[in-house]
Amino acid sequence: MHRQNIPAARPRLKRKSGSGQFILATILLLVTVLCALPIELVFAAAFSDEEMLTSQGFMFFPSRFSLDGFNAVLRYGKQLFISYGVTIFVTVSGTVLGLIIMAMFAHTLTAKSFPLRHFLTIWAMIPMLFSGGQLSTYIIYTSMYNLRDNLLVLILPLCVSTMNIIILRTYIHTSIPKELTDSARIDGAGEYRTFFQIVLPLMKPSLAAVGFMMATAYWNDWQNALLFITSNNKKPLQLLLINIQKSIETLLSTRNIPSSALVAMQGSIPQYSATMATVVMVIGPIMIVYPFFQKYFIKGLTIGSVKG
Amino acid sequence: MKKQLQLLWGHRAQVIMAMPVFLIFLFFSYVPMAGLVLAFKDFDYKLGLWQSPWNGLANFKFLLASKQTFLQMTLNTVMYYLIFTAAGMLLEIAIAIAMDQLAFKRLGKVMQSVLIVPIFISYTAVQFIVYAFLSSNTGIINNLFGSSTRWYMEAKYWPVILTVVKLWNGTGYGAVLYMSVLAGIDQQMYEAAQIDGANKWQQIRHVTLPSLLPMMTVMLLLSVGSIMHSDTGLFYQVTRNSGTLYSTTQVIDSYILNAIFHNSNFGFTAAATFFQSVVGTILILLSNAAVRKIHPENALF
Repeated sequence: MHRQNIPAARPRLKRKSGSGQFILATILLLVTVLCALPIELVFAAAFSDEEMLTSQGFMFFPSRFSLDGFNAVLRYGKQLFISYGVTIFVTVSGTVLGLIIMAMFAHTLTAKSFPLRHFLTIWAMIPMLFSGGQLSTYIIYTSMYNLRDNLLVLILPLCVSTMNIIILRTYIHTSIPKELTDSARIDGAGEYRTFFQIVLPLMKPSLAAVGFMMATAYWNDWQNALLFITSNNKKPLQLLLINIQKSIETLLSTRNIPSSALVAMQGSIPQYSATMATVVMVIGPIMIVYPFFQKYFIKGLTIGSVKG
Repeated sequence: MKKQLQLLWGHRAQVIMAMPVFLIFLFFSYVPMAGLVLAFKDFDYKLGLWQSPWNGLANFKFLLASKQTFLQMTLNTVMYYLIFTAAGMLLEIAIAIAMDQLAFKRLGKVMQSVLIVPIFISYTAVQFIVYAFLSSNTGIINNLFGSSTRWYMEAKYWPVILTVVKLWNGTGYGAVLYMSVLAGIDQQMYEAAQIDGANKWQQIRHVTLPSLLPMMTVMLLLSVGSIMHSDTGLFYQVTRNSGTLYSTTQVIDSYILNAIFHNSNFGFTAAATFFQSVVGTILILLSNAAVRKIHPENALF
């Protein structure tokens, strides 16, 4: 899509804001509330009193609040902090690495004179159409590459994707004037310099969009972790959540909790609220970051859907 | 040959810049594709993928011998694909059009933001949310209706449950694409339609829907290739991988995941994987060819 083809924004038709509009708004509002309630439930449960949860069940608006869940998780959940570290490390390094190498790749695809342009385009397209499937991937990663219990297996396979390359390429194509890179070359800037000093800084909006999508993919990746990671000190948050489903004690090894604290918690671990508190800790960061990236993210989605 | 190498040498900077992505695709996408030969091998972990002996079509015979399992998971996979695609697209378009028609733009922006959020919650976390609704003692549904259904034991409810979860998770995100198309429609088209005496519904039918068609085609085409693949997290995590639910919740992907964990039935699984990859690719090529025939400009490639 070329910029000049987009019709200049015209003021929208004046719409009658009669009763029809209010019905429409009410329906949409209802949908939105229905959509938000399950998320609200997690927060409500995380701050609920454990006794109330077990006797009366989960509630959207709990009658008794308590911080026991968070207390237990934050004070005795050593594993949570290790997992936080792992997830942050994987997310940041994977996203940065992926953005740089995909931006470079996309940049080479836009140079008309580059003889490998078509070959590389096809090379990047085929994985979108055809894949080896989980089983052969699993066997090759473990028996050929020896990536079992190695953090690289969480980083490398997710760091490039065809869709993201298309988004970046389309962005360079439509939003970075050819004259700019050409004149840089004429002024004697090498290929690297042209890319790192001119193209890359101008790509910021598309990098923000792709970066956010990549970061959430890394943050939420549970399958690779479940398949390949075995040791506790490499366990990312999502794997921790899976383990908690089986028993909250994975998180709060009872041995570490002093008996005085156990007495204060009425002899038992606040299971439901502590679990939900952990869920809040896992999904919280994305919810906090999302509003800042929303604008770019929506733009990126839109670019990606227009085939370049 | 020499000339070509010289040409490449002239572009060595570009070659180097393209290299990392090239290599990652090679090692993490293309080599596993070669791993599909597993379907024709008698896999032995000690011998590794390449050294394991060939066994012809034995794995596929095995697949046919345990038809029951295979048919059921294939059927489930396709059924969920159809439900999710049809219901998802319908709801996404409905929401997109409703948002576009809404006069209160500020409110629309806020609602849109909220609707997208669920896609960012991983199924491992969604699983706990679903549990809060369905747990037999403490769950919201049982409390609300005073019932004591043991949801995680009753396979018949799960097609509905999974559809609701999937729609909750993906609809807001899917609607964004259609909304961006709608925002790009030239307002003159609506003005012209109005002058011709078209009412709101007629405008939607004759202006809005036709302009959504290209995007719908692209989305359908992209999804057809993954008809044999499922949102593994939905079927593996949200169901808590409960064996009693398998009759309605086991899809090919979750079966394979289970097989890997139990280290069992590699022959059967390899054949199923092969089937899954090949069918997906054939379908996407076929449907792309079909679209190319009818609307060349909407084809993917």
